[in-house]
Amino acid sequence: MQPAVETKALTRVFHPKKKKEGKSVTALAGVDLRIEQGELFGLLGPNGAGKTTLLKILSTLLLPTTGKAYVAGYDVATQFHAVRKRINMVSGGEISGYGLLTVKENLWMFTQFYGMKSQVALKRIDEMLEQFGLADKKNEKVRALSTGQRQKMNVIRGFVTDPEIIFLDEPTLGLDVNASRTIREFIVDWVKKRNDRTVLLTTHYMAEADQLCGRIAIIDDGRILACDTPENLKKMVKTSTMLKLDTTHLGNKQGLSSIKGVEKFTFTDNPESNMTSLRFVLEDEVAVSDIVSAVIAGGAKILGLRKTEPTLEDVFIKLVGKGFE
Amino acid sequence: MSDTWLMTNLRAVKGRAYPRIIGASREPSWIFFEVALPLLTVAAYAYIYKFMEAPAAFVGFVILGGAMTAFWLNVLWGMASQLYWEKETGNLQLYLMAPISRMSLLAGMAVGGLMGTTMRAAATMIIGICVFSITLDLSEPLMLFAVFMATMIALYGMGMMFASLYLLLGREAWHMSNLMTEPIYLASGFYFPVKALGAYAAVGASVIPITLGLDALRQLFYPSSREAYGFLPIEIELLVLVGLCGLFLVLSKISLDYMEKLGKSTGRLTLRWQ
Amino acid sequence: MAVMDDLKTFKNSAWLGWQMEANWTDPFLFATYSIVKPIAGTLILVFMYLVITSGETETAFFSYMYVGNAFYMFVAEVLFGVTWVIHDDREHFMTLKQVYIAPIKFYVYVFGRAAIKIAIVSIGVLVTLAFGVFVLGVQVGAGGVDIPLFVLSLLLGLSMLLVMGLAMGGLTFLTAKHEGGINEGVAGVFYVLSGVIFPITVLPHWVQGVSMTLPVTYWMEAIRRGLMPDAMAEIARGTGLEHLTNLELMGALLLSAAAFLLLSVSVFKYADRVARRKGRIDWTSAY
Repeated sequence: MQPAVETKALTRVFHPKKKKEGKSVTALAGVDLRIEQGELFGLLGPNGAGKTTLLKILSTLLLPTTGKAYVAGYDVATQFHAVRKRINMVSGGEISGYGLLTVKENLWMFTQFYGMKSQVALKRIDEMLEQFGLADKKNEKVRALSTGQRQKMNVIRGFVTDPEIIFLDEPTLGLDVNASRTIREFIVDWVKKRNDRTVLLTTHYMAEADQLCGRIAIIDDGRILACDTPENLKKMVKTSTMLKLDTTHLGNKQGLSSIKGVEKFTFTDNPESNMTSLRFVLEDEVAVSDIVSAVIAGGAKILGLRKTEPTLEDVFIKLVGKGFE
Repeated sequence: MSDTWLMTNLRAVKGRAYPRIIGASREPSWIFFEVALPLLTVAAYAYIYKFMEAPAAFVGFVILGGAMTAFWLNVLWGMASQLYWEKETGNLQLYLMAPISRMSLLAGMAVGGLMGTTMRAAATMIIGICVFSITLDLSEPLMLFAVFMATMIALYGMGMMFASLYLLLGREAWHMSNLMTEPIYLASGFYFPVKALGAYAAVGASVIPITLGLDALRQLFYPSSREAYGFLPIEIELLVLVGLCGLFLVLSKISLDYMEKLGKSTGRLTLRWQ
Repeated sequence: MAVMDDLKTFKNSAWLGWQMEANWTDPFLFATYSIVKPIAGTLILVFMYLVITSGETETAFFSYMYVGNAFYMFVAEVLFGVTWVIHDDREHFMTLKQVYIAPIKFYVYVFGRAAIKIAIVSIGVLVTLAFGVFVLGVQVGAGGVDIPLFVLSLLLGLSMLLVMGLAMGGLTFLTAKHEGGINEGVAGVFYVLSGVIFPITVLPHWVQGVSMTLPVTYWMEAIRRGLMPDAMAEIARGTGLEHLTNLELMGALLLSAAAFLLLSVSVFKYADRVARRKGRIDWTSAY
């Protein structure tokens, strides 16, 4: 079966307009990816990893510098008309639309760009507004919506045209728990209903990727570091022990990474609470006592200590050596 | 869901025109601004001609020029540079992702803005005629209609070509539009016969559809002024305008495609705050 | 301390205004833009004049029209500049609310942004005047320049325009994206009624009464008397204000400017209150 999305050695370099604006930036450096039809695929990575750049190429808004990208079997560079008929995209924090129009009018307007008959479009809009709990807002002007409501409207805009493939670029960014949950549940449901629907979801919320995605690619600095199911990715760190320490403020952390048995180490200082969180990937649990001694010798008190199950962030730390921002 | 290419693009025109039309009805303050206030600039020029004791036809020229500025401004600000605003608000990328022609999008903007534009133009003409007691010759209505339509199609085609700049540029294109406003008024002879610029300048300015369109309309409304102030015979001007229609529509398609490709290559297609 | 804070606000917003006006292109293109635009606007009138008079530009009336049109750029651009600040910050960059709630005087911020507009327009006015004097024979300074009159009237006039612009800005809070119509309209009123390019004596008698209430009418007259006193004396049929001495003229300018100052401040305060009540400080209205 033809994949929904395929990229081959995809590279994208951005050159500044003027020399004084800085150096060229390689946003994507030889990305190879294959997403099958019917997948809910996640792309996980920190800010600036290249997630949005990849999505822009796949949604025909950007050309690759080198390499190829295919969506529904069509080349995004040369067959973009065919690609556009089959896709849609929703971004987090979108402010598109017109404040003067009502929710229903905005949504209807966008359906017209996809050739939907008004009758069909309006019926589907009503159904989706109901599904997202926005039925009572359909005649409200868009500018009167809250952030969560607006994002729900954006999500409806993306799905109402019933695309074969939808790109979701951090769709729950900045939303509260309820709004995020509604959107996630909808996405899962949508993919399940038909096996020719595909979702490519980018996020840097690891829990979201873990919960929703059948497969995840981890990307950083424009490169795919790993691509597998969440379970298999976590198995990459299963042989290692994850240790989390909460201490009072620890000033000197230099010696901690060189303790025998410590594979990787990150920390977060919280000036407000005067606490430090330390996170270790250990090759050998024997290192625990040395770590505790080093923390105490550093003048800090240990407030909490626990071994944790590996998460996607642990996978990322193992692969890259830094956490998510 | 799938429709023919033509139907999809016609729906796109309708869809993009809709916010313009509805927006205008929901914010009716534009009626005052578009109807009463533009007349003031026109009145100033009319009075200066009166002060200089110019022939009566010149006041009519000014009223006509003032009416036509409505269409020029709609092309420049309501269509071409509107893409700049769409880019800044994030709508542009949604439009560009959709399976529609860019010309449909721009046509929708133009059609949507036509209500306000037509009202502005008509108000300028009617009020100007009443206040300054202008008499217009309407003995060739078919020719008037033909010249007007050819001018509009060519003008909007040219506007689509300008719009393509906005796919690549940001504020630079906006400032270019700003820069072009007065020079076009000057070169196209909005408020005086373009013949006054000299033959070579007038020929050069004829590439802007509104130059010959205005000149032809003046000659039709004021047949007695043809010899003294008309640039070219009306028939020739109409022929050139029809040629410009075809030329600009083709050029705009080429330009839109090229600029979009360039924007996608350089990454500036959806780059805000350039 | 408050004065220092205001000066700081003014300075920072002027800097921001400069960035907004100038950093979209390279200096050469910006210079071209700043010169070509005002000259092209002026040439429209020049050609209108030439078509009727067959080329004689070294006349008092041509100088009257030319100088008036040149200084009118201040009127149009300052009014436009102030309202544009509101529009741009609110709808385009969406920073208006952040500026509005900051512990600064909002009108000082607006003045700072507009001040840069004035500086840029001044270059355009200077270039236009120079073009007129050296190329078209405009009679600026031909019989000597009344510097005190010119400087005083220029400063007073620009201050008056700034404050009027603030009122326009207040109204912009309440209207949709087509607020460009406000400044165009108000500027258009001045263009027709204030003797910018033709003496107000051309207008119907009752309209002249309206002209006499507008500060821009006196401002135009004072600027011209300052720059070209001899030419002003030659204007056939009079300008409508020839019966006023310079002192009386400045007095009328001061009085009408004061009245507009009060009106503008009231309009701004009212519009500001209504905008806050209706939640329009951060609304978007583009379509």
